[in-house]
Amino acid sequence: MIPKIFPRNLTARAATLVAGNPVTTRLESGVGNCFPGLEFDHRNLDRRFFPGLVFEFTATGARLVRVDSSDPDLESEPALKKALSGKTGKSLAEGAWFIQQITQGGTSIVMKQDGDDLDAMTSWRLVRCLQPGKVTIQLKRRPVTAGENVSQQPITLSANRRNYLDAQTGVISTAFAPGELTQSLCSPWMHDFRDCACFYWASNHPDIVLAEDPPGEPTLPSGAPQDPLLALTPIDWLRGDRSSTKPAGTTEADNRRAQMDHYEINLRWQDLAIVLQGREISSVYQPRQPEKANPLASPDALAARLADLAKLEHAVALEYLYARYSLKNPDDVADRDLKDALTFAQHEIFLVAVSEMRHLRWANQLIWSLEHAGLLSTKIGPSLGIADQIPVASDPSRPPQLPPIKGVKTRPPQLMPLLPVVLQDFIAVEQPSGFLDGQYSQVLATLREQQYPPTLEQLAARIIADGMEHFSRFRQVQVVLKNRKPTDYLRSETFPPAPAGNTDGDAALNTYKQILTELEEAYANGDMEDASHIAAARTLMFQLDSQARKLAAHEQGVPFFPAVTLNKKRKKR
Amino acid sequence: MAELVILDGRVAPPRGTFTQGRTPPSLHLLGGDRPLAFVVKGSLLFGLEPKAFASIQDNPTAQEELVNSLRTRHRNISTVPPVPLSAPNSISLNIAQSCNLSCSYCYAEEGRFGGRASMMSLETAFAAIDRLFAEAVGQRVTVGFIGGEPFLNREVLYASVEHAIVRSHETGSPVGFSVTTNGTLLTASDLDLLRRHSFVVSVSLDGGADTNDRHRKSFNGKSGFQAAIRSLQPLLQNPGKVRIVARCTITREDLRVLNRIDALADAGFSEIGVSPLRTSPKPGLVLQDDDWPILLDEMVRAAGSEKERLRSGLALRFSNLAIALKQLHAGYSKPLPCGAAASYVSVSTRGEYFTCHRTIDNPRFKIGNEAFGLSQEKREQFLRSRHVDRQEPCRSCWARYLCGGGCHAEVLAAGRSGCDYIRGWLEYCLRFYDQALSEFPSLFGEGEIAS
Repeated sequence: MIPKIFPRNLTARAATLVAGNPVTTRLESGVGNCFPGLEFDHRNLDRRFFPGLVFEFTATGARLVRVDSSDPDLESEPALKKALSGKTGKSLAEGAWFIQQITQGGTSIVMKQDGDDLDAMTSWRLVRCLQPGKVTIQLKRRPVTAGENVSQQPITLSANRRNYLDAQTGVISTAFAPGELTQSLCSPWMHDFRDCACFYWASNHPDIVLAEDPPGEPTLPSGAPQDPLLALTPIDWLRGDRSSTKPAGTTEADNRRAQMDHYEINLRWQDLAIVLQGREISSVYQPRQPEKANPLASPDALAARLADLAKLEHAVALEYLYARYSLKNPDDVADRDLKDALTFAQHEIFLVAVSEMRHLRWANQLIWSLEHAGLLSTKIGPSLGIADQIPVASDPSRPPQLPPIKGVKTRPPQLMPLLPVVLQDFIAVEQPSGFLDGQYSQVLATLREQQYPPTLEQLAARIIADGMEHFSRFRQVQVVLKNRKPTDYLRSETFPPAPAGNTDGDAALNTYKQILTELEEAYANGDMEDASHIAAARTLMFQLDSQARKLAAHEQGVPFFPAVTLNKKRKKR
Repeated sequence: MAELVILDGRVAPPRGTFTQGRTPPSLHLLGGDRPLAFVVKGSLLFGLEPKAFASIQDNPTAQEELVNSLRTRHRNISTVPPVPLSAPNSISLNIAQSCNLSCSYCYAEEGRFGGRASMMSLETAFAAIDRLFAEAVGQRVTVGFIGGEPFLNREVLYASVEHAIVRSHETGSPVGFSVTTNGTLLTASDLDLLRRHSFVVSVSLDGGADTNDRHRKSFNGKSGFQAAIRSLQPLLQNPGKVRIVARCTITREDLRVLNRIDALADAGFSEIGVSPLRTSPKPGLVLQDDDWPILLDEMVRAAGSEKERLRSGLALRFSNLAIALKQLHAGYSKPLPCGAAASYVSVSTRGEYFTCHRTIDNPRFKIGNEAFGLSQEKREQFLRSRHVDRQEPCRSCWARYLCGGGCHAEVLAAGRSGCDYIRGWLEYCLRFYDQALSEFPSLFGEGEIAS
């Protein structure tokens, strides 16, 4: 006997096991797919449509598999009960009996078409169509082996079609044994999923995933591997070789050959990894601890900090964008590997730059949200300036040819081609738990205080999480370019900003300034619906892109701000 | 109160006695209108239907089944403290081993801890702070100031705060501050410092003027109460981000609790805690065996008044109750009474490390010195010896992981007394919690709880 106890405090609630199936197995938490039905196979209901008899829908029709004289619904069918427990029951217990004809409401259907037996699906559908109420079936014995005596006359039985559910409670008839409704499901579900015809699956499922950090390998604070290749290489979840970290193919057909087959899935489905946040995981998930930081004193101080952060995001977005255009056009190189490397590097750097632009917007959104919440005493923002110092993680091996780090750990903004030292510097800027991260941790700690709307905290948390990926992406670019000479992949090793007076340069700069004007208009009111200015800015960004490409073809970059050039003297030393 | 202590099925021996080698109790049952079962490891609290309660009350097998059916992660509580022990994230600096008051009962004996009055130097304070930040990598740290009266060494207090903030910025470890003071010497600039750095301020006051001044006097006999309230007034009226708490010492001369809370609440405090005197240079003031039942009644009376306040929508003031409720809700379960020698250590004016602020300059509790810092071995040795599962009568007590075995300094100096008082108070709090969870769920940040 289980005594009735009620967990009261938190530890008690966490420790109590509730009797019964886990909640995920219940119908109401199902995904509601009915192909044939992920939670139960409703064909199993119709196996018992006739009280006291159990059928199987086979390729040659509805075959009687058992007489169940203990069926509770026989209680309301005394004549049938008597027949089944007597001579009729005895006859039916021997040999292979099939439904030959079904009659309901004056309509009779013979279970044959053009002289052939109906198949499983058709015979089931006919049974499925029966209404509650009187039904008459005619059963005919068929020979199973040659020479078997099947001279018996067909047997005709009448009864009410079973009510599968209790009309009052909705409870499934107790005639069904536990497990009976699910017995024919494709199980495990991965087996089913492998052949899913349309790759539509009604609930989240893994297909292409990121590899787990191998045991003992260092991880970033986000839990992602420190090794940039492991951190970002997608692999196929159904792969047969579980230890393989080979990148997934680009088409389903590519991956097919290396996937577990059905038989293998049935044998070792449990080896298929749980996937969390896109990454395979084999141990107990430990959520990332929120970094502890001292909250800022007031909403005004917070907004001022955000305004500074926006300038930083803006400055690095431009630096990354600038470096991206210094890479050669993949179409202009012949070497296939280099072509791929360039395509990859351009894409990744562009993604990070766009992500920084998004941060710029989010930081501004935080500011305008604080303003809308009436928390600011003075108007701060929009913040679309450029920081005059960029913080970098302390790195004792900082190359001397980069602009010197001033004060604690900062350097002026730079417009430089993607030289190895510059890429290393970008990595130092994006280093997790570095300065930027720490600044947002403080923003987060402040937004956790009660006076702030809860949605803002989530926004700040997103910026932190996003920053992690930047680090890994740059490091992956570093891996891809590692064994190549800068002259192989750069348009030029100097790639200076276009000088003032250069027509193309001035045009690009003008476009950039127009973008800022549009953004300023959009952010000033913080109207999320202000599509016109945002749309205008977006159009201008495409224009800027073609102008930047044009300049790049002449080995020059967009002069976003006065550039700091490489320190040549120090380079020689 | 129908009270039944179950020791794995056997009825407990009379209170206060224990038998060596007996299996430690794993479940504690509380009968009555709302029967409760308290699982000792992990502090899991269950309500039971009266029928269910009756069915397990005398059935050791059913009780065992109940305990074993729980998925608690606290089965291994006996392995605390963890090895290796991590560095403390909290220190208190005894910056002034001297005091402007001469409270009769003070454990520190006017702050001098039985020695000569002394002040901590800047170098010593900075060295301790540097060591704290260097060792508590990446953690939030707390720097506390204590004495004596810490504001007698204002210069070091101010400079230490500035120094800790610089270290905090350099290391990225956030820092919080606390101070324990008699409140009588605070200036406007002190209040400003406390506000600017969101101090937790613990003020030693025993109640209203009459109650307080009975034992808390200045050398010239002037009222300590008036002096403290006068200088704290602006902070009490507008605490800002300061958390200000009054802490009363209860001597056997006056065991009342509620009148102290009322008087200090009138003076502007919103958090008031009490603590009975167990050791003192004046033994006549220390609570005796006869006093504990009276104190328990007084505590219960004060808590009852808090319940009425909750019913009228007012906030809790009695911090002993508030902390107990919070800990019971979270399932607080620790084999030690406090963080002393583990997450928290105290530094004397000479830069020596002690297990806590109560044990300054007592060689038995010394766990490090200025030159070499903390001794890992001494800390571990101390904590191992203090584990409740390693000592009787604690090992045989159902309340051991809630109580933690009592203050190390007090127990080692004067033995254990008042264990029945502690158990009685905890039982009262368990019932209070059970009721409050249904009646005031918002107190625990919750909506309605089905029960």
